This record gives sequence, C-alpha cells and structure tokens, in this order.
Amino acid sequence: MEVTIKAHMPGLVARVVVNEGDRVEAGQEVAVINCMKNELSVLSESKGIVKKILVQEWDEMEVGSPMVILEA
Amino acid sequence: MIKKLLIANRGEIVPRVMRACRDLDIKTVTVYSDADKDMFYLQEADETYNIGPANPIKSYLNIEALVEVIKTSGVDAVHPGYGFLSENASFAGAVAVNGAVWVGPAPAILKAIDSKCYCRKIANDAGVPVVPGTIDKINDVAEIYRFASEHGYPIVLKLDKGGGGKGIELVEEEAQVKDAYERLARIGKISFGHPECYVEKEIRKPRHIEIQFLTDQFGNCICLGERECSIQRRYQKIIEESPSPVVSEAERAVLFDYTSRLALAMGYRGAGTMEYLRSEDGKFYFMEINARLQVEHPVTEFLTGIDIVKKQLTIASGERLGITQEEIDFRGHAIEARVYAEDPVTFHPSPGTITKVDFPVTDSNFLRIDHAVEEGGKVPPYYDPLLAKVIAWGPDRPEAVERLKNALSDFDIEGIKTTIPVNLLILSSSDFIAGCLDTGFIEALYLKDKEASVKPLWPCM
Repeated sequence: MEVTIKAHMPGLVARVVVNEGDRVEAGQEVAVINCMKNELSVLSESKGIVKKILVQEWDEMEVGSPMVILEA
Repeated sequence: MIKKLLIANRGEIVPRVMRACRDLDIKTVTVYSDADKDMFYLQEADETYNIGPANPIKSYLNIEALVEVIKTSGVDAVHPGYGFLSENASFAGAVAVNGAVWVGPAPAILKAIDSKCYCRKIANDAGVPVVPGTIDKINDVAEIYRFASEHGYPIVLKLDKGGGGKGIELVEEEAQVKDAYERLARIGKISFGHPECYVEKEIRKPRHIEIQFLTDQFGNCICLGERECSIQRRYQKIIEESPSPVVSEAERAVLFDYTSRLALAMGYRGAGTMEYLRSEDGKFYFMEINARLQVEHPVTEFLTGIDIVKKQLTIASGERLGITQEEIDFRGHAIEARVYAEDPVTFHPSPGTITKVDFPVTDSNFLRIDHAVEEGGKVPPYYDPLLAKVIAWGPDRPEAVERLKNALSDFDIEGIKTTIPVNLLILSSSDFIAGCLDTGFIEALYLKDKEASVKPLWPCM
C-alpha cells in the first residue's frame, strides 16, 4: 500500500533526509521544512520503504503538499 | 543629498525607511518577491519592482536581481534595512560599483567585521575588554584543553564567522570538547563556508546591553544611550528598553567611551550598534558589532528624539552629524515589544492570512507602532516572523511599561497566532517589574509558569 507523506507546515524544503529505497520507521524524520526561519521535522506516520521522493531543496510547500511516497 | 533610494528589504522596515524619505524629500523604490506582491507599502513607493520568487535566496538575497533594479530605476543610494543583505560586503561593493551610495559602513569594514576574531582583536588593541578567551582562531583541539585547564569549564566554542545564533557550542566538561569542536567545524563548513572557531569562558546569566552610535566621515561619533535586550529566546529579542534598569551613569560613560573608541578605530561611518555582555558581578565585555540599522532602533529614537534613519541618510550623503554628545537630551524611558507570528504556547511559526486587525491608538509622544500588518494581508512562511513592534514612552519605567501593556491589550490581530500574550506575561511578571533580567529570563519564566499550574500556559490567549 502506498502512503504519501505530506507537509504539515508551509515553507521551503530545507532538506530531505532519506533516500529512495531507505527503510523508515513510524515517527522517523524524512525531511525538514524551513518555516519562518524555524526548521521543522516532517515525520513519517507509518513504517515502510521510501518509494519516491517528490521534492527537492528550496521547493515551496503548502500544508498538504506531497513530499515522499512510502511503500508501507 | 540622496535623491532616490532603493529599499532592499521587506516587511515593517520598508514603510519605516519610506517615512524618513518623505521627510527628506527622497524618492523611494521598493522591491518584492512573488510572495509579497500585495504588501500595502509597495503602493506608497514611487517605483516598485519584482525581484523573483518567494525563496529569499532567489529574491531578497539575490544580488544580481537587486543590481538590475539599481540600473533600471537609476537610484543614487541603497538602504539595506536589517537582515538579508544588510551586512553583506559583496552587495555593498556591487552597489558602489554601480554608482550608488551604500547607506551603511564601507564594504571593507563589513568584510573585516564578519570575522569575530578580528573584532575581538581590534577591541583588545583599543583597550576594550572582551569576553575572556582566545583572541586568535584556534588550530587544533589541544588549544581548547589548554584554555580550559587554565580557566576551567564551562567554556563556549564559537565560529569565527557564525551568526544568527548558529555556530555556538556550550561545553560543560572535558569529555564533550572533541565532539563539540568537530560538530562546530562541520556546521561552520556547511552553513558559513568557514570551519574556524575560537574559545571563550562562559559568562553565566549575562545581560545583553548594547550601545547605539552614529559616526560621520569627519571622525565625529555620538552614542545614543544603551538598550537592554536581555529578554530573548533563542537569540531572538522580544523586549528592548532604554535606559537599562542596571546601567549606572558612570558605567554608561565607560560604555560610551569603549564604543566611540572602537567605532573610530575601525573608521566606521553611519549608524551601528556595539553589543556588550554584562556579567552577574557587573563587568562589561564587548561581544560584537552590528553594522546596520537595528530592529529595536525606535526605542532610542523615543528616548533621544533623534530620527536614526534620517541620520543614516544624511551621513551617507556626506553631511556632518550636526549634533554633539552634550546636546543629546535623554528623556524618560522607552520600551519596545516585538510581535511575532508565532503560537504563544509552543512558539511554532504561524503564517497565514490576517483576517482582522484592530490597532491601539498611537500618539507621536507616547506610542508608536511600526508594522507590516493589514486586514486581508498575507504573512508568508518564507521570512522572519516579525509582524510589528509596539514602542511606548513614559517619564519613568513603570509608566512606559503600563502604556505598553495597555497598547498590547488593545492590539487585536486575527487569522494567525501572535506572541502578544507572551509579551503581556513578561511585562506582568514580578522579575520583569523589578528589573531582574538576564538572557535566561524566558526559559525561567516558562518553567515557573509550568510548575505553578496545570492550566493552559497563557490563559490570556
């Protein structure tokens, strides 16, 4: 089953900390969003394998923008 | 005199600089990123230009785009505001190359003071005390052990070219030294391109006290008093006031002497601020110089009646200061509260759209609000969360604080969360009223509040 990890805050993608093919646990940080100069972690809600990374550094995010697709 | 000025910034500082320009009959040029295209102040400028997408690296930090605006608009000067490129030597140099005046110190000075060790050295040479530590950059971890064995722990490792609260590592004991040193070098390399650091003894529970100064190109320097800025969170100032509740007349004279000696030794021109730490036992140490207009400059303007932005513009135009130290009249007490677009409980950022604003009634003698807030206005997530500054004056500290509290209570912003409740909590706390401040104030207040009650942290929300 595919799970899409979405941005919970608007801002700019500061960095993506996982690679495609990585195994992630529930609660693990997958990316960081810079919102008003604050770095906020984007966490995976479920465990799985990173199937596709949809964003890159400096992309503009809104709440709900898809960031990473997991194969859960 | 400057005829047409580019204001290379965004937010509340833009209308602030425009106000000074109106008084001095200077035409204004503003810039905006895609995220800021509807900002109200843009319409008030003589000309306005889009400089790129929301991402600040591609807009407000984009030297090429700004140089293009200088050429197209034909401005003869650039005011960089604060933050962004305000202390960037390359931008200041590019402005000069394109035939415009930089409202600030010369590019060579900006380049030099980018190094904290350079500043420590020039202060040390001028007889101004610096925080005990190495004057030069350290070359290996053995130098840290050597310093600590002489002065004891805790110590602080700092990047020579750090900034914005980044590049500082507190080291409590010997076992942490190696890791901290390596981490710092890594951050320095990635974030600033410079891994070099130096070491300082930690000053416990310091107060942050800074001196505003102005120098002209004729070697005149005046100091416009101190600002107490100890109320901060993560190196972000929240409340600033002048005079400081603890600085005596004699101490002020010493700080003025340090500041003017340093400014003149550097060949500084324009408005600037020297930051000092005051230790618990009342000693002052030079920390750094801010080579720009500061966010909290209105505090000093209320206290002295001097318009710092106008002075910046006349000094940059080559005029003399036009006022001596003896002529400055320090009156009463001024205090500023910064209003951030942040959740008052978690301090999480709170961008969004402002659905409603009710401003307190301002009065040029008692209450001033510098802001970038309007009904229907957007607060984008890409920039600093500062929304507004509320500045109050009173004949003494209690009256100034009272006016500020009343104004903040009457300031209603809806649609996003703001730190107004945090300001009110600080201003009502017994330690604040007693003037007992240090840079750990917010943390302590938070902790006290948490222990005292299980109710929501900020009941006034």
